[in-house]
Amino acid sequence: MSTAPKQTKAQRQAEQRAAQLETFKKKEAARKRNRILTIALSVLGVVAVVALVVTVIVINVQPKPDNSALLGNVQTFDNLEATHVEGTVDYTMSPPAGGPHNPVWLNCGIYDQPVPNENAVHDLEHGSVWITYQPDLPQAEIDKLKALTPSTYAVLSPFEDLDAPIAISAWGAQLKVTDPDDPALQAFIDKYWKSADAPEPGAPCTGGVDGPGKE
Amino acid sequence: MNRSRLVAAAIVVAVLLGAGGFLIGRFSSPTPVVPADSSAAAGFLRDMQVHHAQAVDMAMTIRDISDDPALRRLAYDIALGQSNQSGQMYGLLESWGLSQASSQPPMAWMSGPVIDGSSGDHGHTASSDGTMPGMATAAQLTELRSATGVAAERLFLTLMIAHHQGGLAMAEGVLARTTVPQVVSMAKGIEVSQQSDIDAMTAMLAALPAG
Repeated sequence: MSTAPKQTKAQRQAEQRAAQLETFKKKEAARKRNRILTIALSVLGVVAVVALVVTVIVINVQPKPDNSALLGNVQTFDNLEATHVEGTVDYTMSPPAGGPHNPVWLNCGIYDQPVPNENAVHDLEHGSVWITYQPDLPQAEIDKLKALTPSTYAVLSPFEDLDAPIAISAWGAQLKVTDPDDPALQAFIDKYWKSADAPEPGAPCTGGVDGPGKE
Repeated sequence: MNRSRLVAAAIVVAVLLGAGGFLIGRFSSPTPVVPADSSAAAGFLRDMQVHHAQAVDMAMTIRDISDDPALRRLAYDIALGQSNQSGQMYGLLESWGLSQASSQPPMAWMSGPVIDGSSGDHGHTASSDGTMPGMATAAQLTELRSATGVAAERLFLTLMIAHHQGGLAMAEGVLARTTVPQVVSMAKGIEVSQQSDIDAMTAMLAALPAG
């Protein structure tokens, strides 16, 4: 015979309701979990994709090293004439950084004596930089300038009556510094060496005339 | 509940499609990604301009000295051809907004990784004094300028064959390290034309009277 006491109808109904409630609560909890999981996975997915895109951009578009902030002391000169003239020219800036010049350009390279302005300015027109220094600059500092001078499209020479220990000039731009280790010198080369702002960048820097004291 | 899940899924799919499209476009677009400032492509374009400039100088020098029509024509070809190529290299760097000056020593790009992952020596690196392969020394250039007749022609041919061989090594070096289409096409052109020049110069050198 049944040992369990016979339940009343009301008792059975109460148990059923409790069971239904339990089931509903479980379903509700599972649904909530799934929703959180879905959101978390979505966020993770989006973050991963964004990270991938950013990585690709950063790897491929490495900006060139920007040292132009060092160029605050550069003097620029506009509306320079580029006519060919014989004889000496009275330049408005010293050393000259552009203007009328000799028909023959100076062969680029290292010089240990002053070079004729009118030939050197022709080099600037062809995109060269011209590094000049006071003739009494110590040899160790001159050696540093030699190391800095690009192997093409550059002239290094002493310059009489220079009002700073070192000057670097390009067509229409000039910077004067006291220290050969000044990082602004390299920044100037990065910006102005073979600059597209020179009238004829890439025109020859050889096959012209040698100045005195060419290495 | 199902609706919010659907919306989330739709967002994920949309972002994935967008990003996928972006990446595919980026890598397949006919306009290439601008090469990095320190890339082999940029290094090649900078160093090869310097290398070419010396070839132009030597070719113009021998054209002034020699009276051999075949050699003078070859010199004319080298001078104008390499001068034009230098301008193209200059223009590519300008169009990509890259400095003509390098932040690295000459030929540093030749020690960078190669595309196929091998550690093989694709082209030769700079010699110990930082010069590029095949470049004539300042003393050799001076010697060429003051030489005359057959001696000048022999010296020119010897120097230019070595110069072109160095150029081939640099072209081979960049082909192993870049996929930038303009640079690949230029390097392949250099390989073909400089090899043909080398063959012509080798024959000319052999035909020179002994001296």
